[in-house]
Amino acid sequence: MKRVRLLPIAAIAAASALALAGCSTGGTATGSQGDELEGLTGQIGAKDFSEQFVLAHITTELLKAHGADVEANTKLVGSANVRQALENDEFLGYWEYTGTSWITYNGNTAPVQGAEEQFEATKEADAAKDIAWLDPAPLNNTYAFAIREDKAEELGVEKLSDIADLPADEQTFCIESEFSTRDDGWPGLKEAYGIDVPDANVALLDTGVIYTATEKGDDCNFGEVFQTDGRIPALGLTVLEDDEEFFPVYQGAFTLKQETLDEYPAIADIIAEISPMLTTEIMQELNSLVDVDGEDPQDVAIDWLTEEGLI
Amino acid sequence: MMATVTTDTQLMATRTLVPPARRRIFTLKRFITPIVVVVILALLLWWVSSLELDSIEQRTLNWNYITLRIGEHLSLTVVASALVAVLAIPLGIATAKSPSKVFRSIVLALANIGQATPAVGVVILLAIVWQTGYTTALVALVIYAFLPVLRNTMIGIDQVDANVRESARGMGMTPMQVLTRIELPLAVPVILAGLRTALVFCVGVATIATFINAGGLGDMIVNGLKLQRYPVLVVGAVLVACIALLIDWVAGFVEDIVTPRGL
Repeated sequence: MKRVRLLPIAAIAAASALALAGCSTGGTATGSQGDELEGLTGQIGAKDFSEQFVLAHITTELLKAHGADVEANTKLVGSANVRQALENDEFLGYWEYTGTSWITYNGNTAPVQGAEEQFEATKEADAAKDIAWLDPAPLNNTYAFAIREDKAEELGVEKLSDIADLPADEQTFCIESEFSTRDDGWPGLKEAYGIDVPDANVALLDTGVIYTATEKGDDCNFGEVFQTDGRIPALGLTVLEDDEEFFPVYQGAFTLKQETLDEYPAIADIIAEISPMLTTEIMQELNSLVDVDGEDPQDVAIDWLTEEGLI
Repeated sequence: MMATVTTDTQLMATRTLVPPARRRIFTLKRFITPIVVVVILALLLWWVSSLELDSIEQRTLNWNYITLRIGEHLSLTVVASALVAVLAIPLGIATAKSPSKVFRSIVLALANIGQATPAVGVVILLAIVWQTGYTTALVALVIYAFLPVLRNTMIGIDQVDANVRESARGMGMTPMQVLTRIELPLAVPVILAGLRTALVFCVGVATIATFINAGGLGDMIVNGLKLQRYPVLVVGAVLVACIALLIDWVAGFVEDIVTPRGL
């Protein structure tokens, strides 16, 4: 009787001993890939969607592997709040998109044509605010319009310029409230592609609802989506080609305070190990593991880094 | 004739210790709320017109857009509150009159769940499993604002003095007459207070209608927030607050007029 009771207690004791041991080895903070970032502590931020969670965890794990003592904070909601946290030094850094910073934080209304030009313009504008942009990843998380595959075939649409030729009652759209007023959103798109529909053809929905509404097809044929979203392939949607190159480029890059970069210049080289690998396709794949298969963003990040031999 | 009336009133006053039956409805105090709202709106207008708006702000900060959103917002609020009144008051009466404790607790539990569930969750869930648009937003609002009216109706009827009920029965009134002539009139202030709460709830919660294509001032708030255009955000939020204040004021006014004299 006594022995049976002792067993769980012994197990707990053993487990806590192990946990403690784990803590102490973790505390010495020598990374598996080097210790150039020793002494760097803080949080890596993220906006409130899966791609950002994955990117934050990838960055965190990578920096940890180089000796930094950082953790991912994925609790904030809204781009503006995350940017604010960086400006207030609550975050060490986070992944931002060129177009977002250009239009939302720097108050511009028109995008700059060309990915590289947009990046340089944004980098320069933010440099004035002491925020540094590291070299960007190829991923372009811009706006796109998606439609159900079978409906696309039925209507014979492949690119955005095909829409204006459809009968008016097929020209139905689901968009976000944010997209509805920005120059690089609905007003500009209508002009660029000559789309002329009554307001009743446009449904204003929340981002998450748009994907399911587009899949159902009751509210609209064409849903405004984000290019790298993992739900696009999972829901059987197909993205229309932006043949007039209307949408600005929303290229992702790691942003941080200039003084952090000055103190730890090695960050730039370390992030440069992963940036070129993060393409739109890779992001779509990683995002879909989280959004569709329900995996934990941190596991997805660690698995990917391990596979690539980076940690 | 005159003398009798006076003595009657005096008698009543001394007996029940209530102030004279004729209450003063139009007092200066009563108009403080609308005056404050007008001042706030004037300040808001002055502030916005002093700003240089960019093209994104111009698309929302114009009369056409704003009046449309206010119309949608008011329509959602008023229709949802009317539906709540039509549904929750009879259910509240039925529940208060029901001898079954089980029925009572089930109804209350459901209404409690309706209010405890985050309205955003209900709206998005309904949009995904059912449909988007005005009707869905209305359903979510009704679910959310059901509890205060239901509970106040029950409390209003329950709190009627047992002696009063007894006397009415003793005078030969049928249970239906007791309800319509004695209990309901006595419960009116409490029921109206519940409706007033429901109305103000609806004004606030109607902002989430924007997520499912049902418009309202939530459009401006979400838009301003996401694009960091603070004038848009502030105008949306201040308008919602002003509508809530005004609706509460109107409801209070109606409440004072409708409440049977002597209560």
